[in-house]
Amino acid sequence: MATKCTGLQAKVSRMLSKEFGKPILKPNKPLVLRNEVANRKLRQGEASCLTEMSVMMACWKQSEFNHAACAPEVQSFQRCTALALGERKAQMGQESSGQGGRLHPKQANTLLKRHPNLYREI
Amino acid sequence: VRWTRYNPYYLEPEPAKEVYRIPATELTDEQKAAQELKAVRPIKAAPPGLTSSVFSDPTVSKFVNMMMQDGNKVLAKSIITKTFESMKRKQVEKYHKAPATEKEVIECNPYTIFHQALENCKPIIGLISIQKGGKYYQVPTPLTDSRRRFLAMKWLITECRDNKHRRTHMYEKLSQELLAAFINEGNVIKRKHDLHKMAEANRAFAHYRWW
Repeated sequence: MATKCTGLQAKVSRMLSKEFGKPILKPNKPLVLRNEVANRKLRQGEASCLTEMSVMMACWKQSEFNHAACAPEVQSFQRCTALALGERKAQMGQESSGQGGRLHPKQANTLLKRHPNLYREI
Repeated sequence: VRWTRYNPYYLEPEPAKEVYRIPATELTDEQKAAQELKAVRPIKAAPPGLTSSVFSDPTVSKFVNMMMQDGNKVLAKSIITKTFESMKRKQVEKYHKAPATEKEVIECNPYTIFHQALENCKPIIGLISIQKGGKYYQVPTPLTDSRRRFLAMKWLITECRDNKHRRTHMYEKLSQELLAAFINEGNVIKRKHDLHKMAEANRAFAHYRWW
């Protein structure tokens, strides 16, 4: 661990120095790790139950919004929405528990808050 | 008095009488564990609307709570009881005037009328405002059951409060609206149909949803 640290410092200092031509890095902020991790963006999903909705709306247009005539389509739409809601809830529960070996960003942030990276002399 | 915030170890009160009538020998393991837990843990105070009577109806209680203003539950409950009474009177009058063939069709129970009317007023899809590319679009989306029930009750109450003559009482107007909604007529049903028509007109934007 200690040997790896010194090697990294040497590399960084060589990148910043002006002895070997122009410096590769020109940082405007100090090169220090933050005590936070960026929040992972949720996967963009598609709209659920679109086919059922379009079928129901076509039926409505045909029958002038007579709900009694469109009862089977309405029931299938409601079943589809119930299923989609259940799936989404299961997915949310699964995501918060474990993420394939990695930590959730919120959990990582709580840990880092407890053991922050000290870059200032207190 | 029920507090708003309780320690998580407080248990909920159990109003149903059937739970207490089961003899100790026929309890399942979960129920036995629950009974033992009740002996050790404190229990939250029962909310004022919670009863163990056979006449209590959760939908009616929800409706009373939504109609209540400034915490005056007594007034809201009295309005609802007067509504049910007036509905029953109207239906019984119709029943006695109808010929023998049509007598079975007329519904006299105000609770069934209330439930059926509410069911008829519930919208099936709703509109949600989604921002895309700087503009806001009204996107049709499915609604949860609680949201649909809330919308139906809200429409009924606002309709009865706004569109009534200065001298008609609230219970009178409510009974008229409920009886109209029971046969799929009236302003609330019209509002539901308008929402459905808007959703149907905006069906092209349905892909803007991501859930």
